[in-house]
Amino acid sequence: MSKRIVAVTACPTGIAHTYMAAEQLSMAAKKLEIEIKVETQGSVGKENKLTEEDIKAADAVIIAAATKVDKSRFAGKPVLEVSVEQAIKDAESVIKKALKMKKPIDFVEKVDEIHKEMKASRTGAYKHLMTGVSYMIPFVVAGGILIAISFAFGINAFQQEGSLPAALMQIGGDSAFALMVPILSGYIAYSIADRPGLVPGMVGGMLAVSTGAGFLGGIISGFLAGYTIEFLKKSIKLPKTLEGIMPVLVLPVLSSLIVGLLMIYGIGTPIKSIMTGLTNWLTGMSKTNAVLLGLILGLMMAFDMGGPVNKAAYTFATGLLASEIYAPMAAVMAAGMTPPLGLALATLIAKDRFTKEEIEAGKAAWVLGISFITEGAIPFAAADPFRVIPSIMVGSAVTGALSMLFGATLRVPHGGIFVLTIPNAVGNLAMYIISIIAGTVITALMIAILKKKIS
Amino acid sequence: MKITEILKKDCIDLNLKSRDKESVIKELISLLIKREVVTDKEGFFNSVWEREKTYTTGIGMGIAIPHGKSRYVKHAAVAFGKSVQGVDFKSLDNKPAHLLFLIAVPEKSDELHLKLISALSRKLMHEEVRKSLYDADTPEKVLEALSKEV
Repeated sequence: MSKRIVAVTACPTGIAHTYMAAEQLSMAAKKLEIEIKVETQGSVGKENKLTEEDIKAADAVIIAAATKVDKSRFAGKPVLEVSVEQAIKDAESVIKKALKMKKPIDFVEKVDEIHKEMKASRTGAYKHLMTGVSYMIPFVVAGGILIAISFAFGINAFQQEGSLPAALMQIGGDSAFALMVPILSGYIAYSIADRPGLVPGMVGGMLAVSTGAGFLGGIISGFLAGYTIEFLKKSIKLPKTLEGIMPVLVLPVLSSLIVGLLMIYGIGTPIKSIMTGLTNWLTGMSKTNAVLLGLILGLMMAFDMGGPVNKAAYTFATGLLASEIYAPMAAVMAAGMTPPLGLALATLIAKDRFTKEEIEAGKAAWVLGISFITEGAIPFAAADPFRVIPSIMVGSAVTGALSMLFGATLRVPHGGIFVLTIPNAVGNLAMYIISIIAGTVITALMIAILKKKIS
Repeated sequence: MKITEILKKDCIDLNLKSRDKESVIKELISLLIKREVVTDKEGFFNSVWEREKTYTTGIGMGIAIPHGKSRYVKHAAVAFGKSVQGVDFKSLDNKPAHLLFLIAVPEKSDELHLKLISALSRKLMHEEVRKSLYDADTPEKVLEALSKEV
């Protein structure tokens, strides 16, 4: 039986080289009496597409490309990567070289295994969540760091219209952070339902923000959007001639409508009443036990990081500033700092619990944590909510309770570490810092214990 | 599908005058300007030149296929020129280019045209096609050489 080769050719414009390389490879293979199938990724899209069977039957893979070609489907095969020019210039030796490459042992088995894994993860909710999170991380980092820089000019510097700190806040806070939840939601839906998922996912994410549902609402809207599209794709059958309007008209309009209405009436309305309820409850609490109040504020700050519960706690504390009650504000800010700080610490002490991407995000989380940008913890929480959220809640609760116990006070509603240096902004500074460190360490330890090792 | 969809007789010049890469590309562009396929000489030249910078389109075997995607192109088209003395195209095999195809593609092109161009690129890889192109002394013979099945 003659040897078989599969190849992929691609070039930046996809006009000429892609095809010339393909032709040269085919001609050389013919001469060497080798079976070849060449997929061209050019301006017309993928042509002569390699099937799974083609790849499985191949003895070697040649990628002749000047652009990025996805190699995951060739796992377990000897893959030779060459430039397009090389394939045009001397296709014969390229083929010979590819055939000489060693096969990984048991590659058929390995391919099957990887295939199974891919299928399993493809349907898993975890995979969808991770897709959303990995697209979101850079937005959180970009936005958070820029906000932190703005704070570095002075915590109220951004209120000065037209100033650089104001611009930084507009870029980081109003823009990058505003995109965070829509991106999370959109790419969860994208992972479930491919491109059509993006529209309802992002629209749903925007609604999660505007209805105050925060990132937890965004996760809900992402899954909602993805599965809505899947459902619509299955249940709407259009005649062939009208199929073209599915992706541009029918799917986006219907799915946005469905997801949007569910978000507004199904999630937005209850959230409003939750917020009102929580605020009233906290007002009642403030008259009883200070430490207990600190503990509850801490739990709330960490629970949804920018969602309704977090906002209720924050709004409550800032409201008290007007009545010259400064202790809850201190507890709230400290408890809002420990989630990213604790996670940053966890990525150092328990590296095997995090993906590479997360470990990198952990570095940024330090900066976000000291700047009281609780959102720095969201990517971690979104990726593994049932382990991370309880951990950060415990850490924040400890910090909140300690801060109240020590009678720490804070006269400004934000600023993180940058306010600590302002004279008289913080009362009982030393113990306040200890409260924050305690919560950070506890959060990190909780995560190290609860989170599973990544295999 | 016919090669004449994208390569017109009056866009064939069997005696290119230019001796260097830059001017020969411009000379070929003029052919497409005359047919009003390309609307802006400098604009289109820039995208071809940009493309050329990533790596040479002088693919050896005496052939060069400079090409560009640009908004100054109305529809996909090809200009062909022969240079008897050859042009230094910094080709892969360091030999001068004698057969030059300039390919112009708009930002958005229909599939048929792109397929014709990919088929043309493939044909050039065959020695017998190149040979008939070298031998062709009239535009008709050029078209005939490119229309042959390989």
